[in-house]
Amino acid sequence: MDVKDIFSYNWSYLLPELIILGFATALSLLDLAMGKRTNRAVLAWLALAGVLLSGIFVVVNMVTLNAPYSYMADMLRVDGYGNAFKLLFLSGVAFTLILSVCYMKQGEITHQGEYYYLLLTALLGAMVMASSADLITLFVGLELLSLSSYVLVGLRKKSLNANESSFKYVVSGGIATAFTLFGMSYMYGLGGTTNLYLLADRLSEAYAGGYAFLVLLAFAFVVIGLSFKISAVPNHMWAPDVYQGAPTPITAFLAVVSKTAGFAMVFRLLFGAFIGLASPAGGSVLMENLSPYISVIAAASMIIGNTMALRQTNVKRMMAYSGIAQAGYILVPFATLTSLFFEQSVFYLFAYLLASFGAFAVLMLVFRDQQSEELKSFAGLYHRSPLVAVAMTIFLLSMAGIPVTAGFIGKFYLFVSAILQHHYWLSAVMIATSVISYYYYFGIIRQMYMRPGATEAPLPLPKGVAFVIVLTALATFVVGIVPGAVFDFVQAHFNPSFDFGGMTSSSK
Amino acid sequence: MMTLQLPSFLLVALILFSVGLYGALTKRNAVIVLLSIELMLNAANINLVAFAKYGLHAAITGQIFTLFSMTVAAAEVAVGLAILIALYRNRATVNIDEMDTMKH
Repeated sequence: MDVKDIFSYNWSYLLPELIILGFATALSLLDLAMGKRTNRAVLAWLALAGVLLSGIFVVVNMVTLNAPYSYMADMLRVDGYGNAFKLLFLSGVAFTLILSVCYMKQGEITHQGEYYYLLLTALLGAMVMASSADLITLFVGLELLSLSSYVLVGLRKKSLNANESSFKYVVSGGIATAFTLFGMSYMYGLGGTTNLYLLADRLSEAYAGGYAFLVLLAFAFVVIGLSFKISAVPNHMWAPDVYQGAPTPITAFLAVVSKTAGFAMVFRLLFGAFIGLASPAGGSVLMENLSPYISVIAAASMIIGNTMALRQTNVKRMMAYSGIAQAGYILVPFATLTSLFFEQSVFYLFAYLLASFGAFAVLMLVFRDQQSEELKSFAGLYHRSPLVAVAMTIFLLSMAGIPVTAGFIGKFYLFVSAILQHHYWLSAVMIATSVISYYYYFGIIRQMYMRPGATEAPLPLPKGVAFVIVLTALATFVVGIVPGAVFDFVQAHFNPSFDFGGMTSSSK
Repeated sequence: MMTLQLPSFLLVALILFSVGLYGALTKRNAVIVLLSIELMLNAANINLVAFAKYGLHAAITGQIFTLFSMTVAAAEVAVGLAILIALYRNRATVNIDEMDTMKH
């Protein structure tokens, strides 16, 4: 490639990423220039401005680009698939920033500048993971997200829990990275290229040419490694400890943005590279031979997540196990693979984003007020602040999958596709574990409405957090009533040709 | 003259990976655990470089990938050690067994 070629690309389609990079750099310099005692809240608002600006350019790309646009042999590509996930990441980080401003007032985090720009670099990593079709850039994006979040988890330097949880996160993350990289090295070895579309062809050649075992080994390594980011079985053990030790806005970030980024990469990598494998009989190996394993991972995540959540008294740990179960649900469309796969996943992730951020906003308020993360701190919440209690009820109902919420519709779509593809045992596990999950979700609701609290004083409700709670509650409710609007929007703007959001069609 | 074949490289990498995994899962000293993770990452690097020369479609890309993964591994261990130092300041231990304040 010539230097001239680099300038021949239209770089304006990459503005969302470049803006985040620019703001992260500017924030790190500003942080150096600011005095030690200056209030860093202004950095949060600057970061939020950057995130919103970047969101605007994602929308511009959505409107102006009709076909995927590829940079440097798909090292980065702008397509419907990436745009949909980028919007999810950006709204997630916007919520995280608003919650962080409130959280900072507790004064536990002394390095606030680092907190804000690491959040932006983590976002950048997530965006690269969603919009790359090359092993090298995917890996670098994954690590940019991981390294930033390791530090974010441990930013409460004086807290023993935070130190411990971030160290556990680094160690389990490092092992998972090694697994992913080892799997990628086999993929590269069999294909001789890091481009996913070329790999898809060459892996299917290798599969037919007597290297089937190595291809499957690569698949297994990559799945094991990436199950860490989505906190699914077998790499789920870190989640409860890390969620408990991290600052609450960061817990929400890990539960939603980091997990969504993991899914973006799982889908892109596994579809991109392994969709072409054909068995001797002519059927698709991914759909016939590999999807049962994905189903097992999904079912195991649902069962372990939901049953372990039952015995937690710490609400953050409970949310971690609930998150493991949710990861299992989001793997269902991947295991069943209908032509609506992309819409189903994005819809479920959207519903999950709304409910999780709302719930973590409430969690943060209650923990701050009660100085405790136990289930009992929710006692009597309805009498202290009816608005917050009702909103929390909507979030919990959505996560549990009860009608008139976005979560119900999301689960319903997954359930229908599992039935239609004759995955009966998987749908049975879905139903059974959902019923189990009612028990612990309703445990919080019981505390809020039926248990007397230690105090009747109204719960203080800062404006930013109130905004997040009201917005997410309304959206959860409205999307639950008119899900078709969101579904149509995803179909119209991200996925015109049923090719998994422009993911499987190379632009060449 | 006997030349080294691809399987020898892959075998070394696989052994290194397994040794690293064993160390990461069983060792009590946190620094050794971080070292073991480095072993696992470097095992993947050996694979990449070997495949770049002897792979099915030998190409230079593997060596480029190695450059990236080495950088990332260095950053990872730097972050890991920084967090370990913060932990050591509060707890005065690097023993993994004693990091159990959140057990349930």
